[in-house]
Amino acid sequence: MLQIQSLTRRFGERTAVNEVSLSIPAGQMVGVIGRSGAGKSTLLRMLNRLTEPSSGRILHDGMDVTALKGQALRDWRTRCAMIFQQFNLVQRLDVLTNVLVGRLNHRPLISSLLGRFTAAERAMALEALDRFDLADQALQRADTLSGGQQQRVAIARALMQQPRVILADEPIASLDPRNAKVVMDALRDVNKRDGLTVLVNLHHLDTAREYCDRIVAMQAGRVMFDGTPAELTAEKVREIYGVDEAEFHEQAEEAVRPKHTVAA
Amino acid sequence: MSAAFHTDISPVVATGEAAFQAARQQRRLATLVAIAVLVPCLLLAGWVSEAWPSTIWAGLPRIGEYFWRILPSLSLDHLFGGTKTEGSLAFWFYRAPEWLWLLFETANMAALATLMGSAVSLVLAFPAARNLSPSPLIYQLTRRGLEALRTVPEIVYALIFVWAFGVGALAGILAIALHTAGANGKLFAEAIENTDLGAWDGVRSAGGSWALACRYAILPQVLPNLISYFLLRFEVNIRSASVVGFVGAGGIGAELYQVISFNYYEEISAIILLIILAVASIDLLSERLRHAIIGRLGGPA
Amino acid sequence: MSASIETWRARLPAAFGATRAQVMTRRLGWTAFLLWLAAVLWWFDFTPVRLWNGLSGLGVIIVMMIPPSPGELWVEILKGIAESVAMAFLGTFLSATVAIPLGFLGAGNVVTATLLRFSIRRVFDGFRGVDQLIWALAFVRAVGLGPLAGVLAIFTADIAVLAKLYAEAIENVERRQSEGVIAAGGSKLAALRFGVLPQVLPVMLAQALYFFESNTRSAAILGVVGAGGIGLQIAERIRVRHWDEVAFIIILMIITVGVIDWISGKVRRKLIGERGRQPV
Repeated sequence: MLQIQSLTRRFGERTAVNEVSLSIPAGQMVGVIGRSGAGKSTLLRMLNRLTEPSSGRILHDGMDVTALKGQALRDWRTRCAMIFQQFNLVQRLDVLTNVLVGRLNHRPLISSLLGRFTAAERAMALEALDRFDLADQALQRADTLSGGQQQRVAIARALMQQPRVILADEPIASLDPRNAKVVMDALRDVNKRDGLTVLVNLHHLDTAREYCDRIVAMQAGRVMFDGTPAELTAEKVREIYGVDEAEFHEQAEEAVRPKHTVAA
Repeated sequence: MSAAFHTDISPVVATGEAAFQAARQQRRLATLVAIAVLVPCLLLAGWVSEAWPSTIWAGLPRIGEYFWRILPSLSLDHLFGGTKTEGSLAFWFYRAPEWLWLLFETANMAALATLMGSAVSLVLAFPAARNLSPSPLIYQLTRRGLEALRTVPEIVYALIFVWAFGVGALAGILAIALHTAGANGKLFAEAIENTDLGAWDGVRSAGGSWALACRYAILPQVLPNLISYFLLRFEVNIRSASVVGFVGAGGIGAELYQVISFNYYEEISAIILLIILAVASIDLLSERLRHAIIGRLGGPA
Repeated sequence: MSASIETWRARLPAAFGATRAQVMTRRLGWTAFLLWLAAVLWWFDFTPVRLWNGLSGLGVIIVMMIPPSPGELWVEILKGIAESVAMAFLGTFLSATVAIPLGFLGAGNVVTATLLRFSIRRVFDGFRGVDQLIWALAFVRAVGLGPLAGVLAIFTADIAVLAKLYAEAIENVERRQSEGVIAAGGSKLAALRFGVLPQVLPVMLAQALYFFESNTRSAAILGVVGAGGIGLQIAERIRVRHWDEVAFIIILMIITVGVIDWISGKVRRKLIGERGRQPV
């Protein structure tokens, strides 16, 4: 059970996330939707503690995540794996090492610094890659892979962490529709087969409706809607965002597009 | 321009002409100001450094004579004669084995100093990179520290270290290494500041510690740059290592200082030629290596 | 789990570490490197005792440096600083002036004789291999102790590099402008004056200023071999172990270099900025 209690983050004058409270049972697949700048990204980054909350609390199975420091914080990060819009792989390293990065926190520092991974860890990484049909690319450099492949490598890395929660920040915004489907299917697969809690930021309502058990809609840092996909009707969308669904998509697409260029 | 031409000039042309004249006047003024600053500066500099045209003029014959005497007196007939034959190459380079050994020592000094200094800068560059530094205080401390190390010239370090560590290559190596740590530390830190932080977030979000994120997310990105800077610094340090001997800090410098001080004219040119050849061949080698590495690891990001 | 290790090792052996040959070459490389390291450390006498003694000696020196003091002969120190800056200024000015015609000679746009250019470039490179201190020492023997030797050393050491940079700047010039001058009936000299010079002059000036900055650093040490400037003062004070005065001079040197960098950087930015504003 992941509990978020009046979580707030301010950047100077601007409040990116404003008093967000959510309670997510284990094994749920939650889609967070909203325009760019609605605070979805900041919310997810706070859960992983890549961004520090200004106030509020995060509890995971009763443990206060917001108070963690040092090794305990790194252990928490291992348990809630993160997936990014730009994949955030180490482009110059091979795919296998990128996946093994997911094991770094599980092993002694010196052998990690030297890059000495055990045979068992390598086999485990290959298995994770194989699950997404990427075992044959294991020894290629990450930057030789397509965007869709890179995102699947990122999911394999996340699985290596043996996490309880997966946070996916706009995982398909930089991908074409075909690759987007493959990646979303992969996320659904880890949710259903491994029983992991998945929180995924999306700007596309249809994708959210198709894949998620529950949808949280954000606007200007606040949660405006929290319910099942069936409850998020066209009228509801108009009520929250003041535009109809087609216009909403157009604006959202526009907002994520400039970031595409970085992927190259 | 005739008056008749002026009468049928359009107002647009007139304003254009006025703007052109104004711009031209401004440029003239700038030139005048530049001259007005430059000339007194030059006069002042000439006065302080005792370098008047007259003294330079008077010095020219002596310079000419000096460099003329440095040149070897080679004769075509005996060019390939033995070490005892005057006018032969062997006579000019009669102490070549000794000098080559000293050059070898100099090159090793430079290599060791570059290695030691760069190792220090590699450790300090991560906290000295603005985007990764654990805290602003640590950033300021390491960055300013590197700057201080870099600003003091090698030869000043060498002068002090000769007192502390005694005469010999050890003092020279430490002096060059210290300056290298500062110079490369700044370059390394700047390379790190230009990296893409996506990979950093990736490693950190997977539970990697600061050190591991430096190792896995940043190092692979900057490695080609760092190796390139390392080799460039090695080229610079060869030159430095050839002169720290002037103050007793090892290498070929001590020998060169002696032959210049005692006016062993022909030996001066012989040693300098050897230094030029050594520096040039090492430059060439290092350039090849740099290109090979960039080819293998991919160009600097 | 071990079963899956075996399956994967069979399917992708390269993922489980390097081949025997790779391991051998890697080991060989490391062994050679470590042997070299051990050899040079032994050769240059990096013994713990010597390092320890040296570091404690250094500690004593640093303690004696605090607080830095100008000493009694502080006028000489100020004079030395002024001399260093003057040497750097004059040396740079002279080499920048002489480098202009040499740059035109070295540029491919102007001189087309490849062999001549190639040999000129080689000579330039040769000059670059000789450190400024060597030139300074030679000029001290030629014209005597004093700042004149320093000026000449800076001049000689820089001229080749500056000429090379100028040649490159001239080669990068846009040809359209000089072609325009010739098309308008200008002579070849007029093409240089109105077509090339306006384009390269700001670049040349900026480079000369850059050299002035770096020469201020080197002019500070030429005195060590008797070529004038603050280097002489610092060498003398180290000889008589007036460490507090040494520290004072080092701090003064750092400040001077900083001030010169600041001024010259401002002027350089202005020059390049002006160039940016010129319509192309």
